[in-house]
Amino acid sequence: MTEKYLAQPDLDFIAQVKGLGGETLKKCYQCATCSVACPIAPEDSPFPRKEMIAASWGLKDRLVNSGDIWLCHQCGDCTDLCPRGAAPGDVLSAVRSVAITEYAQPKALAKAVNDPKKLPILLLIPAIWFGILAFITMIGKDTMEKIFHTLFGDILGGRLHWSHAHEGGEHVIAQADFFSTWFVDMTFVPIATAVTVIFFLSLKNFLNDIHENAVREGKTAKAKLDYKEFFQALLRVIPVVLKHDKFNECEANKDRATPHMMVLYAFIGLFFVTAVCGIMLYIGNLPSPYSQLNPIKWIANIAGVSLTIGAGLMIKNRLDKKNEQITLYKDWFILVVVFSLGLTGMLTEMARLAHMTAVSYFFYYLHLIAIFELFAFLPFSKMAHLVYRLTAMAYAEYGNRK
Amino acid sequence: MDKKYGVYICTGCGIGDTLDMEDLIDIPDEEGVNCTTHPFLCSKEGVALIQKDIDDGKVNAMVIGACSRRVNFDVFNFEGCIVERTNLREGVVWPHSRETYPKLEEDQKDDEEHFDPVQMKAEDYIKMGMIRVEKVKLPEPYKTESFSRKILVIGGGVTGMSSALDAAKAGYDVTIVEKDEKLGGYAAGLRSQMPVKEPFETLRPPAVNDLIAQVESFSSIDVRTSTEVARIAGQPGEFTVTFKTPGEKIPFDVPFPLPEEMLVDENGKELTAEDAHAKYLEYNEGREDILQLDPDGELYGAVVLAAGWRPDVLEGENYEHLGIDLDDVVSNDEFEKIAAKGKIVRPSDGKEAKNVVFIQSPGSDKDDADFQYTGSVTSQVALKQARYVRDDYQDGKAYIIYQHMRTPGLQEYFYKNMQQEDGIFMTKGSVTEVAQQGNSLGVTAVHTLLGENLSIKADMVVLAGGMIPVTKDDPIINLAYRQGPSFRDNDIFGQYADSNYICFPYETQRTGIYAAGAVRRAMTIEESMEDAAGAALKAIQCIESANRGMAVHPRSGDKTFPDFFFQRCTQCKRCTVECPFGALDDDEKGTPKANPTRCRRCGTCLGACPERIISFADYSIDSIGSQVKAVGVPSEDDYDEPPFRFLALICENDALPALDMVGMNKIDYSPNVRFIPVRCLGSVNTIWIKDALAQGMDGVILIGCKHGDDYQCHFIKGSELAEIRVKKIGDALSSLALEEERVTFKEVAIDEYDKLPEIINEFVDEVEALGPNPFKGF
Repeated sequence: MTEKYLAQPDLDFIAQVKGLGGETLKKCYQCATCSVACPIAPEDSPFPRKEMIAASWGLKDRLVNSGDIWLCHQCGDCTDLCPRGAAPGDVLSAVRSVAITEYAQPKALAKAVNDPKKLPILLLIPAIWFGILAFITMIGKDTMEKIFHTLFGDILGGRLHWSHAHEGGEHVIAQADFFSTWFVDMTFVPIATAVTVIFFLSLKNFLNDIHENAVREGKTAKAKLDYKEFFQALLRVIPVVLKHDKFNECEANKDRATPHMMVLYAFIGLFFVTAVCGIMLYIGNLPSPYSQLNPIKWIANIAGVSLTIGAGLMIKNRLDKKNEQITLYKDWFILVVVFSLGLTGMLTEMARLAHMTAVSYFFYYLHLIAIFELFAFLPFSKMAHLVYRLTAMAYAEYGNRK
Repeated sequence: MDKKYGVYICTGCGIGDTLDMEDLIDIPDEEGVNCTTHPFLCSKEGVALIQKDIDDGKVNAMVIGACSRRVNFDVFNFEGCIVERTNLREGVVWPHSRETYPKLEEDQKDDEEHFDPVQMKAEDYIKMGMIRVEKVKLPEPYKTESFSRKILVIGGGVTGMSSALDAAKAGYDVTIVEKDEKLGGYAAGLRSQMPVKEPFETLRPPAVNDLIAQVESFSSIDVRTSTEVARIAGQPGEFTVTFKTPGEKIPFDVPFPLPEEMLVDENGKELTAEDAHAKYLEYNEGREDILQLDPDGELYGAVVLAAGWRPDVLEGENYEHLGIDLDDVVSNDEFEKIAAKGKIVRPSDGKEAKNVVFIQSPGSDKDDADFQYTGSVTSQVALKQARYVRDDYQDGKAYIIYQHMRTPGLQEYFYKNMQQEDGIFMTKGSVTEVAQQGNSLGVTAVHTLLGENLSIKADMVVLAGGMIPVTKDDPIINLAYRQGPSFRDNDIFGQYADSNYICFPYETQRTGIYAAGAVRRAMTIEESMEDAAGAALKAIQCIESANRGMAVHPRSGDKTFPDFFFQRCTQCKRCTVECPFGALDDDEKGTPKANPTRCRRCGTCLGACPERIISFADYSIDSIGSQVKAVGVPSEDDYDEPPFRFLALICENDALPALDMVGMNKIDYSPNVRFIPVRCLGSVNTIWIKDALAQGMDGVILIGCKHGDDYQCHFIKGSELAEIRVKKIGDALSSLALEEERVTFKEVAIDEYDKLPEIINEFVDEVEALGPNPFKGF
């Protein structure tokens, strides 16, 4: 603590935070009402007062690598009570956006994801990509079968085929007939791998940085980072996240906890369904669509509805509270993607059940684009908070932050 | 004046119900004075009744026994008559109810056992009122020999020019003296001024050039640059002013009184009057005495002192850690001058100064007070100068490290806007070091809002030097007064030219000299301009009062003035020395010379004079002394257990209104105390106390304003002097075998009416415990 800290204000950082919804950051006069109001701030050097002055001084080096900015759930209690009309919640949210961009690689992509002007391109890439693949699937079925046969021959006892269509299932509407399952997986498996690698690299830096920051600011007694203990802490934190314990401590925006929970559980459900479907297809050789009576379908349907309603409620909340909470492109991007994801998924299924082949195919096309937007840009969009916040919360648990 | 007496008693407001009116009327009757009662004396009919008696020539000196003189003063105002307002309402019937003090039954009257303390008080008050109208005279206003309505403004800065303009617009001739070669003062060297109205964002161009143009357009304003005041002699209405060029030595330079250490010889013995005078002449060789009027001097009616301030120079080891010797560490004054020249550049190498740290307090030690003479203005200047950095450089960064950021009133908006400027960074903190680090400066601060030891790299550092009132260095006004050329005891105001800026802004300790602007308090340009108007109006009020022989302040309109019976003067100089306003000058023998228009009519001289030769037309040793003697002091001859009797001399400025409030709130206190209002406790002559005790009264209490550095005394020194005199009388009492506790001094603020009954009763209880005055009945 006696070490000198050389303050190097970064005017660009201030402009960046202001642009990302933190325009009130310079209003703070350090009364610390926010830190007192915050239901989840730790007692020892609580946030967000110290973050507010660091932000207004443009001290990027003290903020993007702070675990504390992720402990904030942006419930808005501080913003409500601020006597100066500053919105610490929004400032921290903006700082988090900067942090996401800061840790993500490649930077150019990170910038593009947060730039509304780049949205058409980001939409056009999957649209064209899936268009081409759908075209191939629709008209090149026999050719692909041949290529497949030539490539793989009788590997796995001749079980490997181009088509995943049901035996004698010509009368069934199957999305695989419009868009080959192979193509889907060939698109998303590499994306998922890339995302995982990006996250892994970012998180490694992130974890080291927040540890260093905590040691420097005396927020932890642990001098060295012990990964084993950290993972144990992570396991302890998971139930807290699942129960939304922290979220529920908020006053001003209590109603936000439920939709958030719906979306979180929907994603967990959909993750489970996707995994099971993969196993059923590639190991059980049971291609979709499955009967509505199949338990996996129940889970899928519940999760899909929950995702759509949850995301819908979030959008509604944001629209209702226009004056109290700032909603920016970064927020709308992810809300609309998640909502579209759920909605197009449900519409695809409904159209299929209604035997409207073309309509179902169209929604499926949109659905694929939504999935692409979500997954491909996961490390760069606001959605990345799921890994950063989880890591920061686990670190706080590990570092015994009180 | 051939006095015709009359007594009028109002029976309204509970007076008639509480008091035995027949007994009361008997008092004037016995003296052969006509007494009239009326149930509603302040009504039209009541006043008409008195007016008719006046018009019929029946009365011209009257006692009105009704409410306090602090109310209905406009109703009972009879031109050319002496009016004494005997306070039967707030003073007698309201605080002392019949529930507490029941009326005597018929058989209890004159039984030498029972008495009615409320009736006794009322009767005493009527007696006291009657003797007072007998003893006082109608004042005849004092006229000066010569008279000038011109106003002298000292200082050609923003304040002086504004004051001159205001006075000129009101139709007065004004002279501005400015020691520099041109008008404008400090404000002429500014780059910009602070914003004063919405949206408080952008700085404003200096207002000074516009003021100069306006001043030059007025033919009634005479501007004298490169000029100083050598001396101001005389009194308001006829100040004789001598001018000179700065630095020049002339015979009419003002002489200084001998410093205290020169008033004693080598053995520490006080010099005789002759020796002291010889030494004084030697000390002021080449300078004419104060009583010598400059035949070439110019006559002025009143003076506005707008001499302003000078920037503090921070030097010495206290500030060494702030790098005061480094080229790029400058004061806010030096920074302003750099900014006024153009883009902000470093003094050391002329390179752009994009990172500037503004330091508002010296830091280093634990108790980090601000630099001396700083305040809201220096806070706002730091904000303004931080703005310069931002205006000059898009990537400019200005840091302000403060202990106090003072932006009073709407200037808070200016602070807010500057705070919200991206490149302005503020924190509370104590600066521990400023050091050269290569080509830049390193600033280190502790206890900052950023938590730890903060270090900032800067191109320049600006220290917030204070605004020192020029009266700290120099008297400026150079008064040819016996008490000296400057304001007395100015150190209790931190050398600001001021007497009591909360109650009486502009008013200094010298009547006719009105201070405005930064010479009396650190002020912004806008505040100074507003202040200038106030001082100009005070100067006009002074002229327009002095020409009619009236006091200006705080006894506005008082036509009395001190009258000396010189045949008995022993030249003890006590009046000259003790006058809080330096109104008296004495000649080489020590005979006082009164300057009535300098006088504020507090009566401190009357209180001081051991020979009791000073009096006012309606306020004298005799007028108060006779009232004291009019108080009935019952003895064992009258009653088996006679009531005690106390005298209270109460200051009419704050303590008397507080006592009236006690009455209005109907709070009881001992009815055995007789109150006599005095102009100021400073005017209490100890003879009154001695008289009271000599005639058997059991104790005397003096109640006045608080004194000390944060005094509330309207006449600055009055209550302080009274306390000293009471202490001295205590010694005299013990020689008479009277207990010192019988005379006491108490302070009360105007809002402390709730404490007053307790103060009175405590004193009464204490004296009653001592037993009756042994001189009673002699």
